[in-house]
Amino acid sequence: MLLTRLEQVCNSFSELLGKVSALLFIVMLFNVFFDVVMRYLFNDVSIGMQELEWHLYASVFLLGVPYTLKTGGHVRVDLIYEGLTSKTKALIDMFGVLILLIPFCALVGWYSVGFAMEAYDLGETSGDPGGLPYRWIIKAVIPFAFFSIVISGLGMLLKSINILLGHGQADNYQPPQH
Amino acid sequence: MIGIVMFCVALLMLLVGFPVAFTFGGVALLFGLFAEGPELFAFMPFRIQSIMENTVLMAVPLFVFMGIVLQRTRLAEQLLEAMAKLFGGVRGGLAISTVLVGALLAASTGVVGASVVAMGLISLPVMLKYKYDKSLACGTICASGTLGQIIPPSIILIILGDVLGIPVGDLFKAAVGPGFILIGLYIVYILIYAWRKPEAAPALPMDDDVNSKTEQYVKAMKAIVPPLALILIVLGSIFAGIATPTESSALGGVGAILLAAVYGQFSWKMVFDSASETVKVTAMVFAILLGATAFSMAFTYTGGDYIVEELLSDLPGGTTGFLILSMLAIMVLGFFIDFVEISFIIVPILAPVADALGIAPVWFAILIAMNLQTSFLTPPFGFSLFYLKGVSPPEVRTVDIYRGVMPFIAMQVAVVISILLFPSFYGLN
Amino acid sequence: ATMLASPLMAAEKVYRLKLAETWPTNFPVFGDAPKNMAALAEQMSNGRLKITIDSKNKHKAPFGVFDMVRSGQYDMGHSASYYWKGKVPNTLYFTTMPFGMTAPEQYAWFYHGGGQELMDEVYGKYNIMSFPGGNTGNQMGGWFQKEINSLDDLKGLKMRIPGFAGEVLAKLGAKPTNIPPGELYTALERRTIDALEWVGPSLDLRMGFHKIAPFYYTGWHEPATELQFMINKKKYDSLPADLQQILKTAMRTAAYDMYIQSYHLSSENWATMKQEFPNIQVKSFPPAVLAAMRTANDELLAEKAAADPLAKRILESQAEYMKKVRVWTEISDKAYLDNVSN
Ligand code: NA
Ligand code: NA
Repeated sequence: MLLTRLEQVCNSFSELLGKVSALLFIVMLFNVFFDVVMRYLFNDVSIGMQELEWHLYASVFLLGVPYTLKTGGHVRVDLIYEGLTSKTKALIDMFGVLILLIPFCALVGWYSVGFAMEAYDLGETSGDPGGLPYRWIIKAVIPFAFFSIVISGLGMLLKSINILLGHGQADNYQPPQH
Repeated sequence: MIGIVMFCVALLMLLVGFPVAFTFGGVALLFGLFAEGPELFAFMPFRIQSIMENTVLMAVPLFVFMGIVLQRTRLAEQLLEAMAKLFGGVRGGLAISTVLVGALLAASTGVVGASVVAMGLISLPVMLKYKYDKSLACGTICASGTLGQIIPPSIILIILGDVLGIPVGDLFKAAVGPGFILIGLYIVYILIYAWRKPEAAPALPMDDDVNSKTEQYVKAMKAIVPPLALILIVLGSIFAGIATPTESSALGGVGAILLAAVYGQFSWKMVFDSASETVKVTAMVFAILLGATAFSMAFTYTGGDYIVEELLSDLPGGTTGFLILSMLAIMVLGFFIDFVEISFIIVPILAPVADALGIAPVWFAILIAMNLQTSFLTPPFGFSLFYLKGVSPPEVRTVDIYRGVMPFIAMQVAVVISILLFPSFYGLN
Repeated sequence: ATMLASPLMAAEKVYRLKLAETWPTNFPVFGDAPKNMAALAEQMSNGRLKITIDSKNKHKAPFGVFDMVRSGQYDMGHSASYYWKGKVPNTLYFTTMPFGMTAPEQYAWFYHGGGQELMDEVYGKYNIMSFPGGNTGNQMGGWFQKEINSLDDLKGLKMRIPGFAGEVLAKLGAKPTNIPPGELYTALERRTIDALEWVGPSLDLRMGFHKIAPFYYTGWHEPATELQFMINKKKYDSLPADLQQILKTAMRTAAYDMYIQSYHLSSENWATMKQEFPNIQVKSFPPAVLAAMRTANDELLAEKAAADPLAKRILESQAEYMKKVRVWTEISDKAYLDNVSN
């Protein structure tokens, strides 16, 4: 079945982003810890390392959004949704992705490309002593993340189509577990 | 005018049940396109960048991670059980332990989602096992889970400090008093409830394998001390000047890993799985932030900021009238909108008015924080309610949770009113 | 009849400009400059020029003002030139420089010594016009938890001091540190950092640093911080000549006004601080420390001049102008203050 196959492709892409994001989080945790230890115990501060903290933190949440979409972790108001049949839920997801999610993320992604290109053209760097160069890299994470959300959204769309066609199974909606 | 229509449409769309973050983003897109054209969204990358560079928000993933590790290693659970045994002879002791552990978690995690769900997983099954009233159990968990927002370090206070330009340290100090009053009220309420309805909150039996009271205490202390030490490290690192409040959350995360290692529960898999969970929760929070910033962009650039500004800046009645009405406005908005968005959209409008009226900024901030904390509990959109429902067994119904939080909402409102009337009692003016 | 009617009709056309400021809503002093400018422009043009101001709270991009004015998302901006150093390195020189000119000297350079022309050259490439946007006057060297008695005391000194001045201190072994503004107070109070620089009494008072740090050092690194007005070049060219002149006049007047306001507020707020905390010690860095800072500064500037011909021309223009104008300052204001202080 082509549609289920396509759905799997989208899903594994989102899963991969989730793994990358989790790794980046661990690096970020130790990055912050390292900076605190170096400053307090060795009186040493690196602005570059400090900037790396927010580069990582930003990447973690930006890349995490498509992953969380795939895992159904984004909060819904489920007062009505809770009681609906899985076909109705699939319809909501289908129209939601088509009308709300994809247009929004695609447009933001589109404008973010220009935003990152601008930084590339100017050769933008940090303005602070010892700060990180190549600002375009972190800025390019924005369009990458938003186009990834579109891909993850396509996965969600295919899934709801598959459910409507009777090829797929609905997950039970689980709010985040922590 | 567009702003108001947009607002109503967003509320209706939210009820449909599509994820909140993308509902906000999509509604922003529909109205933004209609009123301003696609170029409006050229502002989005800048807004996203300002969230990316807001290093104070780094505390969100770091605190969530610490909470998750503490839960996975069952250290938090052992802590709760040990305390419940100490309170064993008293009716309602388990609920009181839940409040106290909630307060401890509150002092460390600061993230409502983290503490409510952790408390839900740890405490709800135990309370149900001992035939606690379902509503009492749910209300206690939701309320003590949201304590994290007022007991420092707290995300609301960090954000409010940022928005209002108040040193975060000042806010943390000011929040301690109201936080303790709340804890006290919760405990008194539980005691009275257990006294009036003994069957709703029975006492916990002592361990069979323990012979003496001393042995019981020693056993309990063994479970209580380690998580307590971690909390002291986190809080202590701020006061000792080792770390900024944001950085302290990283010490908490690394500390939780070390604690797991001490108890022989460390593995890279555990760390990675916790990190994955952290990513999920973090992304959920930030997706809402991203959607909400698009929403507020469309709202303000179509003139919505002027509407709210006019409405709120013409609040009649001088200082007292302004305070009461602005608190009511925040509370009503809190039923519908996320606290972060209230902090970023509504508070900047109110702040200059409060300033002009000579209202002490810290007092105003604490009032807002208390008020926003309540918004986590208010049906139908209070996040705590969702989180708890997600980890409850099927016999706990949404109605049980709604009914359970009502008395706690009433207590929080009472504390807000007392802060409003007697700021000097709390040292706030 | 048509010959007469059309200029009259044209004269009544209202031009609307949108300005983005780097500052939050109702930010004192800095935020007053664009407000004054907009009011002046509207009055002088008899309502034909209407400028609306969006603060950081609305556009959420305090450090995106350059890009937004460049692309035309906003017609104007109010910010500070040195914020764009990471994007366009030569913008650094149009705010203030360590060991550089005082406010009157620098204004003289801008308006009569070739400064404005050089700024036009730097910004022209980016479709932006930049003009002086108000001066804070001499900024203080910062709040210190420990006294600086020798160069050794600078070694390992953890200080929040961003930008070029941070580079100068880093060269002497200090450790410039990034702390978000919201956490600066706690960081200084708990001694997570040893020192920080902000502005001067005009804005330091509301940050509360005087409550927690005993030493207030006098300035060396920002003798005359000049903010900037920016206008999208295409937008400016589309305005009638009289409105262009009105706009320029309004900016120049508002800039001057901010300098005075800042001077006034600094003296007022300093009196308040001193009254609340009489034990604040005003200190100056010892001559040996200042000499080392100056050497480090000169070396860094020499590097920048060697790397970029335009930077070299700007720095030479500043250095030559300062040499000349300082002689006058020495025998006028400086001599006067020396005369009357004895
Ligand atoms: Na907290
Ligand atoms: Na400064």
